[in-house]
Amino acid sequence: MTEKIKAGPFETLCLTGARCLEDRTVVFVGTGLPMLASLFAQRTWAPNLSLIFEGGSLGPILWMGLPLSVGDIRAGTRSCMVKGLCAVFEGQQRGWSDYAFIGGAEIDTYGNINSTCFGEYEKPKVRFPGSGGAGAMAANSDRIIAIMALEKRRFREKVYYITSLGFGDGQKDYRWKAGVHGRGPYRVVTDVALFGFDVGNTNKMVLLEYHPSLSVEQVQERCELKLTISPDVKPMAVPSQEQLKLMVTEVDPERYFLGKTVEA
Amino acid sequence: MDIDKRFKEVGIDMGQKADEDKLPYVHIVEGQVPYKSKHRIAGSETTDPLKALHSDIYKISEVKCKERPYTWWGPNPDEARAIKSKENKFLYDKRMTQSQAVKKFIRPGINLGVAGFVNTRCPFSIVWTIVKEALCNKTIQATDLTLSFQSQSLCVEWLLGAMMLDDSRVSVKRVELAWQAFEVIGSGPMWTHCVQSGMIEVDDYTNYGMSVRFKAGYMGIPYIPTRDHGGADFEVTNRGVMLKCPFTGRMVYNLPACHPDVAIAHVTAADMYGNSRIFGQTLTCEEILGAATTGIITCEELISNDAIRNYPNLTLIPFLHVHAVTPQKYGGYPGAVWGYHWFDMDFLREWRATGLKLRKEGNKDALKAYYDKYFYECDTWEDVLNVIGYKRLAQARDLDRGQRVILD
Repeated sequence: MTEKIKAGPFETLCLTGARCLEDRTVVFVGTGLPMLASLFAQRTWAPNLSLIFEGGSLGPILWMGLPLSVGDIRAGTRSCMVKGLCAVFEGQQRGWSDYAFIGGAEIDTYGNINSTCFGEYEKPKVRFPGSGGAGAMAANSDRIIAIMALEKRRFREKVYYITSLGFGDGQKDYRWKAGVHGRGPYRVVTDVALFGFDVGNTNKMVLLEYHPSLSVEQVQERCELKLTISPDVKPMAVPSQEQLKLMVTEVDPERYFLGKTVEA
Repeated sequence: MDIDKRFKEVGIDMGQKADEDKLPYVHIVEGQVPYKSKHRIAGSETTDPLKALHSDIYKISEVKCKERPYTWWGPNPDEARAIKSKENKFLYDKRMTQSQAVKKFIRPGINLGVAGFVNTRCPFSIVWTIVKEALCNKTIQATDLTLSFQSQSLCVEWLLGAMMLDDSRVSVKRVELAWQAFEVIGSGPMWTHCVQSGMIEVDDYTNYGMSVRFKAGYMGIPYIPTRDHGGADFEVTNRGVMLKCPFTGRMVYNLPACHPDVAIAHVTAADMYGNSRIFGQTLTCEEILGAATTGIITCEELISNDAIRNYPNLTLIPFLHVHAVTPQKYGGYPGAVWGYHWFDMDFLREWRATGLKLRKEGNKDALKAYYDKYFYECDTWEDVLNVIGYKRLAQARDLDRGQRVILD
């Protein structure tokens, strides 16, 4: 019983992601890591967090454990409403959700995210699954929380394909001209750093918190893009034994995410 | 083109549509030299007249892509309307076997709309039957298909895998989609392989985009405005267009309706006329079937028309959108079906491991063995379920934890 649970990258991602979710808000949850962090938040400090999953569910209680798909029975059970994709995306377009919580393959300085491809569109070097709901969530939820591991190849000055729109070219009216509703990027959660944005000024990514095992310089070394450092930059919270225990027993006991490693 | 056959079947004469170079197939702006497809270089402006209005995306876009003149990838809205108007609309018994349904409606060149969502309530047994009849029994040809869906996994992988084995029996020429993979399990190996080698033409939208394109089809309107896609690279690569809203003056992105020739779906319960109920997330099933000119459904339960009339509010898909009703228990296995069973993750992993062998090593042996095991050596979907075995089916059923459905 006394054996300590190790806080690996995905445990930290889970905690930091969940920390960005305020209680009594509505979050449109994407597949993968956002589901992990949302479940943890709902089981800890955000019991009144309403979740939307694009399969069509609004406000489910995740009593059956970690959903493995946004259309999963587990993501729909004990909901306030279950309909289809059009219903929840249209609600989102109307203004239902405070946050879009999404992943992606790479992200740029202005929070634009690629989850489509690398290289030429017709014959890409690497083809990813595609947008899924992320493009719509980034466009029309009020603000965007992105979550992904911090790897040099993922944090770039420019992405190959903008799937989920951030601040575009950083100009104040870019999103307005694009015809979308949401205000744009808010947080980028990674395993070793938490980023925000210099909203309304440069709209560039800003380092807010760094993992206590690293220095600010080491975080910069792990990004291809040039970081702005917040004057209030501080070390990031790491999961406590109590939190880790909850993660491994209730959030992801089958270890779809937890315990895995990330290449730096 | 397949559409002509469908016209003949319902007795429509669309005289003016013979010349494919004319509208409505290809968009030509009056007084302009017909626009020719060319390759757009990253960072350059577009010459496509349809993209004349746009956001600032061309200032920052890094995407190299082909500019393609607008074409409908299935029936256009007028054709889809004409077919619906002319067909038999009375309540008749539509029950048939899956193999009969597939032989009747699947033809080369059609746009096949696949309902369900990633692994949830996808029409696995219908797709299995298409592959079985085309690849193994050689009774139909499922070639030159266009696939349209929001998010899929194994259904599409099975079709692409069959294409890798024999593309004279099954082949996919284009895909309009939002997403293709296995969520937590990982990428779709056949999808990755086929797109990266340039074998299939792709058109990307968001999940809302694809869903609402079917909805526009269902609504009988040619296009629909959305508040996403704009400002992202979808605006550069997909077939939507930016327009100025006549009322607010703001830019708004518009998507063409999508009308599949045939839509396939697995539903919770249906009567013999096709009136269907769905429990759990309804996904985009209603819209895909509503947009398609032909609908094939499998149902977990066949219920009476009397039951349907007890709670008519529960009918999500009306009989007018269904042309074949094929009762099939576990028709959505190995996906999850609300009230019946959860995912079979091992079955999905088995496919992924098989597909990765081909993608990474170029070796088709594992793929052949997989199709032998699950397609050639099984005569019916029940045989496939037998191979999977009672133990796993029972486990998947237990993991549903008794979600509720109404059948009376």
